[in-house]
Amino acid sequence: MVRAILLILAVVFLAAAPFFGDAVMIQYGIDALLFATLAQAWNILGGFTGYASFGNSAFYGLGTYGTAIAMAQLHLPFWVGLSLGAFLAVLCAVVIGLPILRLRGHYFAIATLGLSATLAAIISNLDISGRNIGLILPLTRNDVGFYEEALALLVASTLTVMWIAKSRFGMGLIAIREDEDAAQVMGINTTFYKVVALMLSAFFTAIAGGIHAYWITFIDPASAFDLSLNVRMVIMAMFGGPGTVLGPVVGSFILSAVYDALARSISTAAALLFGMVIVLAVIFMPRGLWDLGHGLRQVGWRYFLQNIRLHRL
Amino acid sequence: MSAGAQPMLEARGLTRRFHGLYAVNDVSFTLQPGEILGLIGPNGAGKTTLINLISGTLFADQGELIFEDRRIERLHPYQRAHIGIGRTFQVMKPFPRLSVLENVTVGALFGFGGGERNRDKAREQARALLEFTGLDRRMDQNADQLGGPDRKRLELAKALAMRPKLLLLDEVMAGLNHVEVDEVVTIIKKIRDSGVTILVIEHVMRAIRSLSDRIIVLHHGEKIAEGLPDTVLADARVVEAYLGKRRA
Repeated sequence: MVRAILLILAVVFLAAAPFFGDAVMIQYGIDALLFATLAQAWNILGGFTGYASFGNSAFYGLGTYGTAIAMAQLHLPFWVGLSLGAFLAVLCAVVIGLPILRLRGHYFAIATLGLSATLAAIISNLDISGRNIGLILPLTRNDVGFYEEALALLVASTLTVMWIAKSRFGMGLIAIREDEDAAQVMGINTTFYKVVALMLSAFFTAIAGGIHAYWITFIDPASAFDLSLNVRMVIMAMFGGPGTVLGPVVGSFILSAVYDALARSISTAAALLFGMVIVLAVIFMPRGLWDLGHGLRQVGWRYFLQNIRLHRL
Repeated sequence: MSAGAQPMLEARGLTRRFHGLYAVNDVSFTLQPGEILGLIGPNGAGKTTLINLISGTLFADQGELIFEDRRIERLHPYQRAHIGIGRTFQVMKPFPRLSVLENVTVGALFGFGGGERNRDKAREQARALLEFTGLDRRMDQNADQLGGPDRKRLELAKALAMRPKLLLLDEVMAGLNHVEVDEVVTIIKKIRDSGVTILVIEHVMRAIRSLSDRIIVLHHGEKIAEGLPDTVLADARVVEAYLGKRRA
């Protein structure tokens, strides 16, 4: 109850923030909110089901291009573009998920690696998507609007994850992560659960891509299907706490803030940051900030080895 | 078993090969409702493979499986769980980072008939089963913190939470001491008395003799004997399979 009130206050505070901040602050805010959404979306499959996807940047790209094609080429409204992008991404999740979600652990991760490069190559050769030159969306100077949309999306994805954490569906996902063979003989239709988790992940990722496309107004295949974006989703979710409700959000807020601060002063250090974070997070706090909250009391080789056993990284 | 009774499970010519090696070769048997059937044999005889074929963890290369009038050999493991087949694993498979209570709740949420839809009700069922299997003290511990005997109990509780009609037990007594074996034997008898049919693999002969209504013996993937416990355990071929030669 107290937690619910605090969360609502946090959302109200975030919603009110752009009316008091300057233009640059709002732009940082939009970026941070979209990244938090991406981390949260990745968390649905990666955190709860234990399948590390590197295909989410492909869903992001489809969301980006769905929106851009609808608005720039077909002159349809923004919401139609978002729907088209989300539809393409969810469709892709089903078509790709059914075969490759049969692969386990790092085999799945590797199989998803090629997805965004493949889609980028296809998009670069289609006239409707502006080939490799890209597309320019209609200009709208309404950063506060974009900020509130990004916030609404983050809230929606977090509410979804909150439901997952409490539901029968979520219990099924967690059981798959903990032991897939046992989950199966206990009556869980593992293929169906994994595909639905991937679809949800794809949906929120694509919407975030669509909002970003309209905000930034120019997109091209390289930036839309950027694999390093996927790496950032993974790092943010891992840092915050995979398989938790608020971890990925808090984790990505912190990392976005540190990244932006570093980027302004020493830009090379900012690039190093994520690499260092992933190494430290994997070794010392595999459960993310949750471990930090418990005082890192178990730091040491034994904990490290135990983590490797449990997380099969 | 009364004549003409509908078997709970019937296997006809079940066969499974691994790279040309027959793990289970042309095995047929029936299991009557309410029966406890013991499955014994030396190491590598194909006992666990047979349970894997029934639970769907492995598919059979040949043969038929009929569960309550229905062919099931092509069904997925989760579908077999939904129609009432539950199992334990010899190499135990707890959900390591979930609490003991949550482990068992999963069984209640997804087992027979697709399971209980309501998570709170499922948790209540799980709590009752933990009491039944003597794990209630460990309810809030993570499964990876349990010792061997408690892990065995957890395997049993998880399978029971699925409310199976047919329970496949793969060495739930291995590594237990005398007292613990007697406890588990009592538990298994209680499970049967509640109307569950049981197929049990066990190396503890004392336990299998007191539990089983009938016993079948596997050797090199083939069924070499079947019958009442005392008869089967005295069978020359069975003794030979275990000891390699006839006793003087």
